Amino acid sequence: MLFREGLVRVLADGGLDVVAQAGDASALHHAVLRERPDIAIVDVRMPPTQTNEGTRAALQIRERHPEVALLVLSQIVEAKHALELFSDRPEGFGYLLKDRVIEIDDFLDSVRRVARGGTAIDPEVISQLFGRRRTSSPLEELTPREREVLSLMAEGRSNRGICDKLVLSPKTVESHVNSIFAKLRLAPAPDDHRRVLAVLAFLRA
Amino acid sequence: MRILRLALLAAGAFLGYAAYRVQVDNLGSFTSPARASAIVIGAWLFLLAGLIAWGRRPSNRLGPLLATAGIALLLRQLRYSHDAALFTVFFVVGELSYWVVAHAVFAYPSGRITDRWERRLVATGYSVTLVFTTAILVVYNPAKPLRFFDPTFRKSLLAVGGFGDAAISLQKVFVVVVWGFLATSAIALLIRRLVTASPRARRLLAPLLVAAIAVGLRAIFESVFTFVERPSVILYDYLFWWQIGAFIALPLALLAGFLRARLARANLGELILELERTQPHEIGNVLRKALRDPTLDVLFPLPEREGFVDATGQAVELPTDGSRAVTHLKHDDEPLAALVHDRSLLDEPKLIDAAGAAARLALENARLHAETRAQLDEVRQSRTRIVTTADEERRRIERDIHDGAQQRLVALALQLRLAQRRLRDGTDPEIERLLAATVDELQFAVDELRELARGVHPAILTEDGLAAALESLVSRTPLPVELEAEEGRLAAPIEATAYFVACEALANIVKHAHASGASIRVQRRNGMLVVEVEDDGVGGAAAENGSGLSGLGDRVEALGGRLRVESRPAGGTRIVGEIPCAS
Repeated sequence: MLFREGLVRVLADGGLDVVAQAGDASALHHAVLRERPDIAIVDVRMPPTQTNEGTRAALQIRERHPEVALLVLSQIVEAKHALELFSDRPEGFGYLLKDRVIEIDDFLDSVRRVARGGTAIDPEVISQLFGRRRTSSPLEELTPREREVLSLMAEGRSNRGICDKLVLSPKTVESHVNSIFAKLRLAPAPDDHRRVLAVLAFLRA
Repeated sequence: MRILRLALLAAGAFLGYAAYRVQVDNLGSFTSPARASAIVIGAWLFLLAGLIAWGRRPSNRLGPLLATAGIALLLRQLRYSHDAALFTVFFVVGELSYWVVAHAVFAYPSGRITDRWERRLVATGYSVTLVFTTAILVVYNPAKPLRFFDPTFRKSLLAVGGFGDAAISLQKVFVVVVWGFLATSAIALLIRRLVTASPRARRLLAPLLVAAIAVGLRAIFESVFTFVERPSVILYDYLFWWQIGAFIALPLALLAGFLRARLARANLGELILELERTQPHEIGNVLRKALRDPTLDVLFPLPEREGFVDATGQAVELPTDGSRAVTHLKHDDEPLAALVHDRSLLDEPKLIDAAGAAARLALENARLHAETRAQLDEVRQSRTRIVTTADEERRRIERDIHDGAQQRLVALALQLRLAQRRLRDGTDPEIERLLAATVDELQFAVDELRELARGVHPAILTEDGLAAALESLVSRTPLPVELEAEEGRLAAPIEATAYFVACEALANIVKHAHASGASIRVQRRNGMLVVEVEDDGVGGAAAENGSGLSGLGDRVEALGGRLRVESRPAGGTRIVGEIPCAS
């Protein structure tokens, strides 16, 4: 409750319109149906059992209202759950630890990006995915630097954001990104779409 | 009692002689010395069988009943006497002798007739017979000799005057009622008893078959003699010898069956020898053999549970439906064991007592054994309960941390952050720095709580099962780990134990093994969940040295499994946990 109030304040301060708040899954569905929002931010733990009601509600919204972007917040993140939620459509979807909200500017960036059809995957998920050992994966071909770049792409950062984060020149980042596309064998396409495909390849690897 | 039996023996000898003489002297062509002797010998055999049974087991009424039948059969022959009083008395009561025989047959082997229908049949037999024989003599017409009797003899003390052929007709009705209807009923009841008897009882019921045959032959003999006007001499002769043969066999069969329990007692010697080399839990087999009851069960009382357990310590209920009998064995007034056995053994209480006494030490031993097993089971169950309860508690704590403290800390950090932003326009940079540091600390605290909760009980284990939880574990381990785990859910304590085995083993590898890689394999094998964790490190791990591994060993054993640590110096370590999973 306290958290939701804080979150509403953060969003409002960030210049976003909070059109509805919901306390449980059915209230959430009604609100989505009524308001057709750009994005719904959903906590995984919801009444009554505080286990995975939120996950199920999120999956239903994705299925029934594909036009509504979705950002799932959770007390803990698991790569397995991330993959289930993403299924085969990482566009307009985010999965973050709840405490990422505290870094308000980063969080607002993620919300806006997801609302625009981008992705936001928690760094914790990324590190888990790298921790899994998959010998036959094309990810094995990536250099450590390329991995870093790919995980930042998966988090949803733009080339500009990656430059800032890794303190690299835009040219260097661009060459890394192109190398990643090549190693993951992604056909030439508009850059945004290729980024999504790269993230997808990464998640599924 | 001995005097009484000797007196009966003497009376039997005298009556045998009298019966023989009466027949030979007064029945003319109806009899012969051979036939008269056969009848007397048959009666004598009843008397002798009765006296022997009586001597062997004085408490059983079968002996006296058989002896009475023998005397009664001898007395019956006195109705052929030419003395009016003897004729009258023994014509009336003599036929009752057959019902004493029937009485003894139905009372075999316990000495009492326990079945309602059998008791009714015998009572009916006694009374109907008495009514008929009395009535026959009352309506007896001296001008018309009775069948089976010396035609020249015509004195009845009961006669009230002639009624034509009434007495002879009544004699025929009597044969129809007694040897037709009642005898058929008797055969039916005997066969019913043979069919419904338990296998153990059936072995002892062979004499009843002899009895049924004897009754049948006698009934045919009586009918032919009564209703066929002039039976051929050969047929008559055959029938006489067949039925007398069966009647002679009957007391011998009854006595043999009756004494078989005594023969069984000879097994007790073997029992004692066999007990010498019997394991406590096998005592049931030995007693089953000694008492010749393959259905016998030995149960032991557990006073603290107010119940019974079998030789392996499993709780067992005593049968209450009466289908099987229970004998409680005691020693010094302390309950020792309960034997659940075939009801037929109830007829031989001495046999059970003797077997119980012979096996007392072995039973005592087996009782202690069973008690220990039962207690061990209880301890095992309680260990399992402790593990299960602890798991539930850990799960609860994990959720409390997430939904309580962690949730609040995040909310608090967020509020502070918002406050910090409000202050950004810089009233006091010191306060802003302080707020920033506090938020950072809170963020640390949240991270630590999250790790703590995961260590207590990972949520993914509850939600998605062992394979998913292990995958999550492996992905957080700073070491390449090969994971091979079957999907599918198991009982929560089994999943949790397997998870913690892998988790602790992996933590040890990371901390101590200096390994370059590890592997985890989880599979179900022969009803066991097998968790194997292997590394290529320096080895030297052991479960004994008070490490986390020994605690895990306890945990695995609490679920009835075991944990092995195979460690070769410089050859890596292999930890194998096996947990029973019924599937």
